[in-house]
Amino acid sequence: MAPTIHYYCPCQSGESVQMPPPPHMASSSASFHPLHSLFFCEECDAVRCNRCVSIEVSGYYCPNCLFEVPSASVRAEKNRCARNCFSCPICRSTLQVVASDPPDGGDGRPSVSLSNVGEPPFFLYCNHCRWDSAEVGITFEKPTGLAGTPLPLPISLHLIIYLTAQLQKFEDSAPESLEFERLKEHFEPFLRTSSLSSLSHVPSTSSHHLPTSSATAAASAALARDVPGVGKYNPLTRSRVGRDRTANKDEMPEYKSRMEISILGQLGSEGDGSDVEALRRMEIAEEIASLEQRWGNSWTTSLRTSDLRPLRIPLHSKVSKRCPTCRHILIKPEQKAQSVRYKIKLVAANYLPAMTAALPHTQGADATRRPQAKVPSASDDRNAGAMTAGKSYPFHLALTNPLYDPIQVRLSVQRMHVTAVTDSTAPEKARRTPFAVSLPTSSFPVAAFAEAWEYDDDDEMFGLEDDELGLEMGRTRDKDGKGKVKTVGVLEKRANVTVVGGEVVIGKEARGHVKFNMLVSYTYRSDDPLPSEDGVGTPSRAAVAKTPEVKTFTFYTVVDLGPILPREEKVDPDI
Amino acid sequence: MDAPVYYSKAEFIETDTGNKVSRRATIAGPQNIILGGKTIISSGAIIRGDLRRTGPGHAVVISLGRYCLVGEGCVMRPPYKTYRGNFNYYPMKIGDYVHIGANSVVEAATIGNHVVIGKNCVIGKFTIIKDCAHVADNTVIPPNTVIPALALFVGSPGRFVEDLPESTQEMVESQTKQYYSRFQPLER
Repeated sequence: MAPTIHYYCPCQSGESVQMPPPPHMASSSASFHPLHSLFFCEECDAVRCNRCVSIEVSGYYCPNCLFEVPSASVRAEKNRCARNCFSCPICRSTLQVVASDPPDGGDGRPSVSLSNVGEPPFFLYCNHCRWDSAEVGITFEKPTGLAGTPLPLPISLHLIIYLTAQLQKFEDSAPESLEFERLKEHFEPFLRTSSLSSLSHVPSTSSHHLPTSSATAAASAALARDVPGVGKYNPLTRSRVGRDRTANKDEMPEYKSRMEISILGQLGSEGDGSDVEALRRMEIAEEIASLEQRWGNSWTTSLRTSDLRPLRIPLHSKVSKRCPTCRHILIKPEQKAQSVRYKIKLVAANYLPAMTAALPHTQGADATRRPQAKVPSASDDRNAGAMTAGKSYPFHLALTNPLYDPIQVRLSVQRMHVTAVTDSTAPEKARRTPFAVSLPTSSFPVAAFAEAWEYDDDDEMFGLEDDELGLEMGRTRDKDGKGKVKTVGVLEKRANVTVVGGEVVIGKEARGHVKFNMLVSYTYRSDDPLPSEDGVGTPSRAAVAKTPEVKTFTFYTVVDLGPILPREEKVDPDI
Repeated sequence: MDAPVYYSKAEFIETDTGNKVSRRATIAGPQNIILGGKTIISSGAIIRGDLRRTGPGHAVVISLGRYCLVGEGCVMRPPYKTYRGNFNYYPMKIGDYVHIGANSVVEAATIGNHVVIGKNCVIGKFTIIKDCAHVADNTVIPPNTVIPALALFVGSPGRFVEDLPESTQEMVESQTKQYYSRFQPLER
């Protein structure tokens, strides 16, 4: 496993505490994120993550036909694609419209063809699990009036749209759905009047809110009537109390359900006799639809796989994201559904220095490996990347500056972490012995990002890269041989990247991962607060100050250098 | 920072535009294949440029953009179908910054830019993959699937799992560029 560096978003901690949780706790992973998934609010001068931003839907589209659905029709179509997009009820892949085999299919032509000579019964076919809609009796005939038309595709499409409507109608005509609609209808005028009156209503002495109580009272009265098991005393007494107090606005007509609840129970599939019978006669487990196959349905459906119907594909949405505190937009996508551009995109990667960690002793192993093993396999990495307890290892941190100004960076290992570890070692001494991390203590510069570095990397970087790599390899070899090279401090600078070295000394009984919180603070000069450049600083402050100004931004990261191997005596006899 | 990926200089042919093609790859019908430049074809890959559309004239069968990687043992094969009673192959178009992992079989119709396909995947016929999508390792995408932009697909059959972060484009671009610069010859 390669070393990772994740960045801290303070949204999980309280207002006062800005310290990240100790890294060895499993719960701390919720507060740390990879840099590329974070946002940066210029107004608040703070990092934001996907957990804390507020999200607004800016558009809906079908993930299959990529049609952008106007938000007005999304609700009417129940958040599903109303065109010819269906997913397989068995495996959820997309269904395809196919024609039947020609009658003389002796030439071995595949049946999956959109040929002009498609035979009448069209059906939906799953390319993955080979389910087809003919199994459940959904086929499409050509309408007789259009039999002579030489264009079968539009006809079948027309039929598919019909099927879409049918499926939605089927869904809408489910007894539960109708009952729900009826209930909503029934309560709507009441809720409206009660909400109106509650505005003018003087708060009464009763502990519960009256409109709510009368609404629930009416609902529970209906429930008490329809469901035989529910006792009548509780809801009715309460509703009588409510009625006494607010006699004028509790004139609720009695709700009449569409049908008796007992009939509903028979229509549904909630564990009644026929299901038991089906289970009794079941021969293969696949006869019963899995939970995954059923829970996408709006209402309860039959347990049997043979009763599953093709599903209309749920829509996806594009979202814009806002800062949770100042409401400024952080992400605003382009209107077009499949565009990957953004009108506004304030991601943390454009503000904070990107950091990567590396362990030179694993790189040495990589470099000396045969060129055949180009892709370092996971199993190799696991052994090569691990550190043995009781030894010390150098590590490299590469910082890349995304800003157009040079920055001064200071790194420090979070002090709280050390105390936390010693605290935890007190009760369980054997299990968690700390490791000591040394980092360069003075601040070091990282050069400004220049577009030029981005573009001429292909031609000029080659020679440079070779030199650097050779240098680095030489250094690692030295270390492997003697281990008496400077490890802590600035190791190299190129373009907008600075590599610093650190060292970790692992205790003899250490277990788990070498994982520590690191405080990074960087100072930058925002000397020209132009609108195009003000991404560098907080615009409110930058606008005021026209003179060169030095600002500091501080953030926490967690560095995971990899697992610690328990000490093996035979591996290092010199200790 | 990352260690270079070495290849033996004798094995690869480097073109003027920086494409690096392994001599151990099977390139059928090279006249029908376009490589955009700085694209790497790893050893053991099979690219079927010979499966061209019937009919006269020159036909581009497979086109790859810049900074692409066709992993070891990959099979790239244009999709085919019988339309109006005629069997035919259809061209495959792949955008820039597309990485395809080792041992994947690709029969897609279109792959956008900044797409990452993992190892051991099967991409079915006429699949359309939009920009910045990611297909995880060991995923099977059934034929005629559409993968929307910035989607992560996992499983068999491959299903939508989550939306990718907004900075995916920049990340994939820098990763693919970095991979190309790390891919260095080793003289022996």
